[in-house]
Amino acid sequence: MSAVSNRRVEGVPLPLVLVGIAALIAFPLIFTSPTPQHILILTLLFGAMGTAWNILGGYAGQISIGHGVYFGIGAYTVGFFYANFLVSPWLTWPLALILSVAAAIVIGLPTFRLRGHYFILASVFIVDAIFIIVSNWEAVGAAIGIEYPIYREGDLAGSLWALQYHDSKLPYYYSALGLFVASVFVSWRIQFMPLSYYLRAIREDQEAAQSLGIDVTRYKLVALIISALITTLCGIFYAQYVLYIEPAATISIIISLEIAFIAILGGIGTLWGPVLGAFIIVPLTEILRQKFSGAIAPGFGSGDASLLLQLEYLLEGGGGNLDILAYGLIVMLIARFQPNGVLGFLRRLD
Amino acid sequence: MTDALLDVRDLTKHYGGVSASDDVTFSVADGEIFGVIGPNGAGKTTLFNLITGFEKPDRGTIVFGGRDITGLRPDQRNRAGIARTFQIVKPFPRMTVEENVITGALSRTKGVAEARERAGHCIELVGLVEKRHALGRELSTGQRKRLEMARAMATQPKLLLLDEVTGGVDQPSIPGLIDLVRRLRDDGVSLLVIEHNMRVIMELADRVMFLNLGRKLAEGRPSEVSRHPDVIRLYLGSGHA
Repeated sequence: MSAVSNRRVEGVPLPLVLVGIAALIAFPLIFTSPTPQHILILTLLFGAMGTAWNILGGYAGQISIGHGVYFGIGAYTVGFFYANFLVSPWLTWPLALILSVAAAIVIGLPTFRLRGHYFILASVFIVDAIFIIVSNWEAVGAAIGIEYPIYREGDLAGSLWALQYHDSKLPYYYSALGLFVASVFVSWRIQFMPLSYYLRAIREDQEAAQSLGIDVTRYKLVALIISALITTLCGIFYAQYVLYIEPAATISIIISLEIAFIAILGGIGTLWGPVLGAFIIVPLTEILRQKFSGAIAPGFGSGDASLLLQLEYLLEGGGGNLDILAYGLIVMLIARFQPNGVLGFLRRLD
Repeated sequence: MTDALLDVRDLTKHYGGVSASDDVTFSVADGEIFGVIGPNGAGKTTLFNLITGFEKPDRGTIVFGGRDITGLRPDQRNRAGIARTFQIVKPFPRMTVEENVITGALSRTKGVAEARERAGHCIELVGLVEKRHALGRELSTGQRKRLEMARAMATQPKLLLLDEVTGGVDQPSIPGLIDLVRRLRDDGVSLLVIEHNMRVIMELADRVMFLNLGRKLAEGRPSEVSRHPDVIRLYLGSGHA
């Protein structure tokens, strides 16, 4: 027993980690109404993506505000084939992952030459360019997006094949939990591999890293591919969950920002930071959204893609997007008082 | 010289109209400590950057261990057996001393455990054992120089380029650093050393090259080069010429 209780996973006692996982498994059995389950599904989804983002942004120090691209590739690939040809996502997910790796290479190779702010800017421009292309691409529904044909038979085999469940959120919940645990596990495991030394060395000083034999471009790309693959899996899940895909809720700058913010505000470069970030930010913004913008939004962060448009909308008194303001306020407060993220604050209390 | 470890020929690099390296030719033998001296702007650090691949020459070739490495990237040159330190030290600030050196060791070893063992030897060699768990940014300048040497040594180089070993280091630490460089050589490493401190280079180097404005003006044993009129003018003042 003491062997278990004395072990720590990145500073958190192992028993606490196990209790946390048990609590997450038990949660939907205790809270059976759809709203808390929905909020936690989104929390787990964005926790998985924030953690995946952190492998590139935190460990390797390559801040990308463009992960919506990989999220979108997952959602659009399975969505396109199901909506048009009723092809099961089980057959198309490998294609989504292949496209994701291809996109990572095509985007990563030229932009990894850029340093610091230029890399960030490039990631923003690329995601926005792809957003504009998809928003005008009739084959994938342009700005309206893809509406999923609903599988109505209700038999288990058919539901599993279509990856749609309409009686219960439980299959979605546990899928999201699986993605989340897998993402955190990968992020944790990397810390014991040579890769983590390469990535941190690249983050700390690229020239010094090169002088020690580290192929900087190659390992940045490895980090991006791992990060992109998990994000794409999350995109597949998202499409199956909301059964409606639009550019604004997948490939937008806003979604890309939210993925990054979760890791940055929680504690960039740490294992638990993105987890903490997701569990604080996602429920808070979801609750604010439901309180202040009326209907339950289909997805975290959906709505207008442009912050300016959001603001304009708000100033005109329409919609009452107070959640966006509240979100901005949280971001500013944490950035002002806890530049190391919430985890940095907790560490100091320890 | 065919048995040279490093053979540099006609190395030329211009920045606009300024030549940072102008037809520089020299070679470093196996097991040799080769010093590079010269005033500020002589092209010493440019020479290091050219040899380690951080800059591409306009002309000339670099042959290392019989292999032309002129077109290789810095990381490929490291794996070929060339390591370096930087004039302005670049320890990984938010990694511990041990993690810094493990990163170097991973250049040659496959697993982290093996790299940690190798790193332990290197940390001991440079005398940073008690600082093993300190972060890179917590070290003094002298300790940072030692850390860089340990990290570079961990990549198991055949040739180590040291840029200003004693620059910015307090006087009492200098003998220890000189001693350290000798021990590195005894480990079977050849050294190419940039040094401002003439006394240090006289004591340390087997041969010395004197650079000014990118050109090689003299080369030979330290006692010979120190008699060169330009060297005397530079280091002792023009009254001695």
